[in-house]
Amino acid sequence: MRIGDAKQSYEADEAIWTSSTQKIWFAVLLLTLAVFPFMADAYLLYLGCLVGIAVISTTGLNILTGFTGLISLGQAGFMGVGGYTVAWLSMNTSLPFPITLLLAGLLAAAVGILVGLPSLRVKGLYLAIATLAASVFLHFIFAEWESVTGGMAGLSLEPAHLFGLTFQSDFGMYFIIVPLAVLMVFAAKNVFRTRIGRAFIAIRDRDISAEILGINLLRYKLMSFALSSFYAGVAGGLFAYFYRVVTPESFPLSMSIFYLAAVIVGGMGNLLGGILGAAFMTLIPEVLKLLTAALTPFYPNAPIFMSPMLEIIFGALIVGFLIFEPHGLAEIWHRIRRFFSIWPFRN
Amino acid sequence: MLKNIFSKGRRLAGIGSIAAALMAAAPAMAQDKEPIVFGGSIPLSGVFAFAGVHIHAGLTDYTTWINNNGGINGHPVKYVMEDTGYEVDRSVAAFKKITGSNKVPVYYGDSTGFMKTIASELNSRGTTLMSGASFATALTDNEQYPYQFVPGPNYTQMLGIILEYIATQGKDGKKPTVAFVYSDTEFGKDPIENGKAKAAAMGIEVVEEIITKPGSVDVSAEVLKMRRARPDFVVFHGYVLSPINEFMVQMRQMGLDTQFMGTFWSTDKLIINKMGADADGYMGVMPYNYYDSAEGGPMLDALRATAEKSDPEAGYRPTGYMQGWFNAMVWTEVVKRTMDAGKELTAENMAESLASIKDWDTGGIIGIPVTVKDMSFPVGRIWRVNAKEGRYEPVSDWIHLD
Repeated sequence: MRIGDAKQSYEADEAIWTSSTQKIWFAVLLLTLAVFPFMADAYLLYLGCLVGIAVISTTGLNILTGFTGLISLGQAGFMGVGGYTVAWLSMNTSLPFPITLLLAGLLAAAVGILVGLPSLRVKGLYLAIATLAASVFLHFIFAEWESVTGGMAGLSLEPAHLFGLTFQSDFGMYFIIVPLAVLMVFAAKNVFRTRIGRAFIAIRDRDISAEILGINLLRYKLMSFALSSFYAGVAGGLFAYFYRVVTPESFPLSMSIFYLAAVIVGGMGNLLGGILGAAFMTLIPEVLKLLTAALTPFYPNAPIFMSPMLEIIFGALIVGFLIFEPHGLAEIWHRIRRFFSIWPFRN
Repeated sequence: MLKNIFSKGRRLAGIGSIAAALMAAAPAMAQDKEPIVFGGSIPLSGVFAFAGVHIHAGLTDYTTWINNNGGINGHPVKYVMEDTGYEVDRSVAAFKKITGSNKVPVYYGDSTGFMKTIASELNSRGTTLMSGASFATALTDNEQYPYQFVPGPNYTQMLGIILEYIATQGKDGKKPTVAFVYSDTEFGKDPIENGKAKAAAMGIEVVEEIITKPGSVDVSAEVLKMRRARPDFVVFHGYVLSPINEFMVQMRQMGLDTQFMGTFWSTDKLIINKMGADADGYMGVMPYNYYDSAEGGPMLDALRATAEKSDPEAGYRPTGYMQGWFNAMVWTEVVKRTMDAGKELTAENMAESLASIKDWDTGGIIGIPVTVKDMSFPVGRIWRVNAKEGRYEPVSDWIHLD
């Protein structure tokens, strides 16, 4: 608990910003994000886009798993729905990217509602298996519905376009992905300031109590699935525009596990956690490669020796988080904030 | 696992000495010329690491050899790579990183997925020619992938070579029957439709077609189908090992005298090492001579000498090593031809140089002079496992598809 953090009104409790310092830092962050593509090289720009897509998808999964307590292993499948929708639309229509992305999100949301139907009856591991089955089913459709999805060879897309502008490069895509990521995280934040978001949290904390309080479980659980899948669909659509190729192998089961791990490592039920988790999971393999690069001048074959080690270190880091910091990176961040907030006193 | 770690350690020591030799040899080379960079997204970890470490060794050793032999027209060669874990996003990251800090005329891609993903960027950049671990038929489509090539026959051509061989194995004027077993992946499905069409055109009946998961082991139901169909040949595609071994053992236990064949990535020593005597008679198409084959040639001898020097205790070098070496050989030839023509090292000029390769003597890596057709080298030979000797032996001449 931070000192001087007592809320005296509902408005204060609902406020996104609790201090002017927060606003300043957020402005700095936005400025940094705006300037970043002009300073970064192709590699960093690529990673920036990748993190942006991961943030959107992780935020979506966080809504479902972190805030509503419904575990899902179907995120890659929903992203696939979004990716294929965008690919098909770009090949068969001349719709601009905002429309295709919206349709990708809506179709993924519709599929999410279908997949979420069992969620009233089953919870926990059972629901995880149900969503896993949905993911396998969707993968089957991607691979076998050749006339629409191109089968195993997949589909190649035209670049995203709007008002005669074509977003072909990573530089262009950055200005679609990152603003959209910021917007969607804010949208999620606002959801949790409304009755809907509070209903999600109530369901997560104790669904029977929530029902007694008058929350329609099926309605809100399906709403959570729809919202989460919408995010996944948009992320999948951006993924498709970014790589300009979608195949069934673009959306493997390991991708669902990746996003679930990002939610857990970042901090379940915390939007900042989703962002930090997505960035951590995307960037850590690259950061670990820097270790190899640092060793290479002294040990020319460090890549051969270190590459399998990096996988182990990556896995160990995740396990370490689960054991020593179960509330994820977000909790570390809050602790750092507390430290500076009450400094020079001990935390 | 320990054995694996020790083996890697030994390799490190070996390649370390090569690196030292390289550093010692470097001053002898022209210092004033800009290095030619060979870039690579290499899967040193992940599911394809079993091949990736050898591909890396092949590329490293070739770089050593070419630098010891004056580089490319006096330009030293620098090999810059990053591990990808066989994941497309990491492969793309490696590509961006390497091409961002180096001028990279030629690049090794570790998967079909990566090569398809990077194609649009490659086309718009126009600076880099790419080949790699993929023999996908799609990549030999000049319209869509003008700056990518396949360092051997593509999968359709491999199946074509296999069918050419099968066609010669009939008895009493009858063509043998064949069954296709392939994995439910892009890799597995790649040549099947074209293969069926070619089989039909050649009068070879395809009596069974089975799709499995890659690496699946329970194939008893599929084996029963095979018993009913009784094909003379079963052709596997889209696997590294399993379920090839399962099919072979179970079908032989049922008394079927079917012969088994496979394509590039399932035609290495792994099958002999895992199956032992049961691997006897397994056949596959291979565009390169095996490291331990009786064949020879100046480049093949140089390859063996360099490999022995880089890691004296490694012994046999797998086909991934040969593939890495051959990739780098083709890059060298392409860069050299482009330079000799006085042209800049652009993707377009290098693609033209690649297309101009005709009756090229590879010094024994491939047993006959080769000609590039549609960004591929449509040549190969059928090899058969001699389990007693623990190696593959040729059972056909080199087959060059027109």
